[in-house]
Amino acid sequence: MPSPLTHDDPVALGPYRLLARLGSGGMGTVYLGRTARGRTVALKTMHARIAADPDSRTRFRLEVDAARVIGGRYGAQVVDADPHAETPWLATEYVFGPPLDDAVQWNGPLPEASVRALGAALANALGQLHHSDVVHRDLKPSNIMVTAYGPKVIDFGIARAIGDARLTRTGAAVGTPAFMSPEQATGQEHDAAGDVFALAGVLVFAATGHGPFGQGQPADLLYRVRYGEPDLGDVPPALTPLLARCLAKDPGLRPTTSEIASQLHDGSGEFADHLPDAVLSEIGRRASEVWAVTAQRMAAPTEGSPPPAPAEGSRPPAPAKPTPVSRRRLFALGGGVAAGVAAAAGGFWYWRDQSGAGAGPGGQGEYADNGASAKRTTGLAPLWKVSDRNRQHELGPLVPHPVPGTVLMDQGGLAGLAPRTGAAKWGVISGAGSWQYAVANGKVYRIEEPNPDVDQKHPPLAIHSVNSDSGGTLATVARLSDSNGSLRGNQLLCVADEVLYLAVGDGADPPSGAGEFRASQKWTLRAVDGRTGKTLWTRPLPSRRNDSNRLHFLAARVVGNRLITLQEREEGAVRVVLHNTRTGAVSWEAPYSVDDPETVREGISADTSHVYLGAGQLRALRLSDGRQVWSSRPTHGYGETYSPPTLKSGVLYAVVDGAGLVAVDPRSGKQRWAEKSDTPGNAFVTCRPVIGARFAYYKNGVTLRAVSLASHTAARTYVTSGEQFFGDEQNGIVIAVANNYVAAYPLA
Amino acid sequence: MRTPEVGVTSESRAPRGTGPYAVITRLDVPASRLPVPAPVPVPETRYIARGPDGDRTVLVSVPLAGADPQRFMVEADASRYLLGPWAYPATDLARPGEAPWHARPYLPALPLPTALAVHGGPLPERTVRALGAALAETLAISHGQNLTHAGVSPAAVLLAVDGPRLTCFGAVRAAAPDGTARTGLPGLDPGSLPPEQASGGRPRPMGDVYALGATLAYAATGTTAPEREELPPALRSVIGRCLARDPGDRPQLAELQESFSPASTSPVATQTASRAAALLGPGWLPARVIAAIAHQSAALLSAEPDSLAPAARTAEPGPIAPAARTQD
Repeated sequence: MPSPLTHDDPVALGPYRLLARLGSGGMGTVYLGRTARGRTVALKTMHARIAADPDSRTRFRLEVDAARVIGGRYGAQVVDADPHAETPWLATEYVFGPPLDDAVQWNGPLPEASVRALGAALANALGQLHHSDVVHRDLKPSNIMVTAYGPKVIDFGIARAIGDARLTRTGAAVGTPAFMSPEQATGQEHDAAGDVFALAGVLVFAATGHGPFGQGQPADLLYRVRYGEPDLGDVPPALTPLLARCLAKDPGLRPTTSEIASQLHDGSGEFADHLPDAVLSEIGRRASEVWAVTAQRMAAPTEGSPPPAPAEGSRPPAPAKPTPVSRRRLFALGGGVAAGVAAAAGGFWYWRDQSGAGAGPGGQGEYADNGASAKRTTGLAPLWKVSDRNRQHELGPLVPHPVPGTVLMDQGGLAGLAPRTGAAKWGVISGAGSWQYAVANGKVYRIEEPNPDVDQKHPPLAIHSVNSDSGGTLATVARLSDSNGSLRGNQLLCVADEVLYLAVGDGADPPSGAGEFRASQKWTLRAVDGRTGKTLWTRPLPSRRNDSNRLHFLAARVVGNRLITLQEREEGAVRVVLHNTRTGAVSWEAPYSVDDPETVREGISADTSHVYLGAGQLRALRLSDGRQVWSSRPTHGYGETYSPPTLKSGVLYAVVDGAGLVAVDPRSGKQRWAEKSDTPGNAFVTCRPVIGARFAYYKNGVTLRAVSLASHTAARTYVTSGEQFFGDEQNGIVIAVANNYVAAYPLA
Repeated sequence: MRTPEVGVTSESRAPRGTGPYAVITRLDVPASRLPVPAPVPVPETRYIARGPDGDRTVLVSVPLAGADPQRFMVEADASRYLLGPWAYPATDLARPGEAPWHARPYLPALPLPTALAVHGGPLPERTVRALGAALAETLAISHGQNLTHAGVSPAAVLLAVDGPRLTCFGAVRAAAPDGTARTGLPGLDPGSLPPEQASGGRPRPMGDVYALGATLAYAATGTTAPEREELPPALRSVIGRCLARDPGDRPQLAELQESFSPASTSPVATQTASRAAALLGPGWLPARVIAAIAHQSAALLSAEPDSLAPAARTAEPGPIAPAARTQD
């Protein structure tokens, strides 16, 4: 599904203006692009930082070559390419058609006639490749687009490159062993006959919904591929003999591609005649939907080049996302401290929402489903909405910290809101962005914002405990040596067992008007005893370039004796880094490929044994050593992107691009259920779902959807333009943070 | 199996008179080249064209040679107010003094005669019913706005994947003023012209019912005046009554909606705003029609008009011919 560009997407690649994102994965992003005369193409790119590696760039070039060899009949017609650009790109026709895995997942196994037509065309496609001395080596359902005129094979090199990188890093197997040949599984030469084996696996999947060797752990699958008998039990009987031959362990016994094509299909009729209605309908939908795309880009920070004005759409951009705004916006009002004071003097206000049905959210304490909203189940209004004109968060986003009876918010400084009305309980404490306070066991801690008029030049960083009912300071917990308390990049990461974890800077203040970081500053990760104020350990952090505004950490939490952090070691590159809470030593670290680091700010999902990652693939890493235990299949160009996950009561929940909410078994990674919906809509994967006792909440289009955990259908929807959603179980609300307001919805 | 060949002629030369839009191709395959029993005329010339920014692709209509430009523009202007999911109102019009044209955003769609050609004959009953329900609903909305369509004909109906689009608003009024006989006029399909309008009568709502009956007869048989036996048995009576010479004998639109979309068969209908929408789910269009719509969409995505500044033109471009495919 096309989605708006983000502020740091390029404006153009070669002669193509970018219009929208079609999908993205760890290696690159696929865009919809258009020439000045209106030719519209799909643009596949490789991230510049990955293309900096010569091997990766070579792979990209090979992919371009392979795409040219396969041509427009059995692949996406190559229009243009520049593999030498800083961000290498490949322009192809925009292919309408669901990938085969989606087609089967949504519509069920395909009828025999479809499988035959598909198989014959794929055999011809492979024949053409082999004739040109190209072996695909990675044929699988997600790499095959089902169009009205036949299947098109996409993704030659990049998916494989992803697999290889993972192979060397964690020792796990390449992406989808389910479709691998036995010779490939044993590391031997996979030639044309290997593609035939994979083709048979794809056809078994199309006919039955599962691969010939089932599902499971990669190691088990690889074993079955090498030694096990394929499971052809559900395959239409007439297809079994041919597919069994294709799946022979000995490559020499497998039929040729031309024999397969002639055995499967006599070429009668048109390809579309053999497709089920649901697949045809999906193809038609995609062919029409692309004409409704208008160029949209999430708002950019004021630095850098301004985004192009949105194209004058020839139709109203009605169903599109309300242009989501980057949470990395720059503070527009000038010096941080001064504005904090301004905010304290009444710079934000709140109103009762009047757009809802009837009397709206009712007055006193009526914050569960009230009468008005109980009758309606769609388009419901929020409980309350607080406008926020002075929000300033050039460094971090607005993350609410709930305690019982109060929601602590950054409102140009620390503010406490009443959970039932959104009214301010006390005036804003100047300074203190969301990253500078933390809550543990109902106790609130914050980094003190020095007063430049009163304090010395480089005051040591001080941490206070705060009364959440009044906002008043209870005590000074610690003052840190070798620190500069006026640096706004200081972070209070989290508090556990009375130990505070902080990112602490020392050195010169940034010049006025510049970014917050200087290369000369020294930064450390520290653990501080909240009872004694003593520093327990200190670990160095890399320095930031001058004028950087990137905080060191996106999120952190403690599980047992491990401090799990999402660290932005280099700008834009997130790593999961685990520290021992007693010594600070790094236990392990692993890259976390996310397109936009902001999307993982909301928190970390972990249990006592694993940490769960999303923002692309859904993955589980073992806490003990960082090994990947399972993962969803690698993301490819089109869809299948997961939001960061939320773990709740032993179930992992995430939002899937183009589909909606899914519940996954955290042990195996197997899907337990998926949202049942006639209107998949436009699921946002940029924020994780919020899980209540009965409903799961996530953003879809312009609504917050509440999906029943019992029936798996959307029970109600709330109108929202929120960008981030946070669950506040203690106060029973879902908190939405939007571009210019904060709102609350009932959490049930 | 067949494979498409892009039918967009890159050397397209646009005619004058499409405003800021550079023509990419014609929408309609000339009747003479359609392998259907009875060719049907198109009351206007329709192009798919692109605006100077390259972003806006539109369906633009210009009057046939010899037509009255003023009446053509009056109808185009009125069509801007058409409502309903299957109306296709003009969104951009020629300025006063400019050669007449009107345009609306492009949506991949095939004119009904082209759809029959692509499908290889009359459309299935399911498709005809869905068309009947959606078009009856669209006309009922127009009549509620006090607008008589007066232009329903096979060529006026475009098939998009999510339902039909009804075009050619006011073609009968534009072809000749009331009081003048309208027989034998270019662009007017005699088969779907109600007798009272053919003799010069002012178009009234029940004339739309006649034209709708003729159009559905065409969809179901390939001709606007089929023998009764050619029609699917379940549709014989209702289509036959639409084609009654006396407007008073024709069924009301509400009755048509009911007969095409019986409430009992569409449980979803009660939940959707439109009852006809329930008939437009997967499978409402035949496979090859969807394939041809996707083909048209793909061809236009990759097309670039010769020049985005309309200049002197010589030849007219050919249409995107869905039949222009090669055998495997």
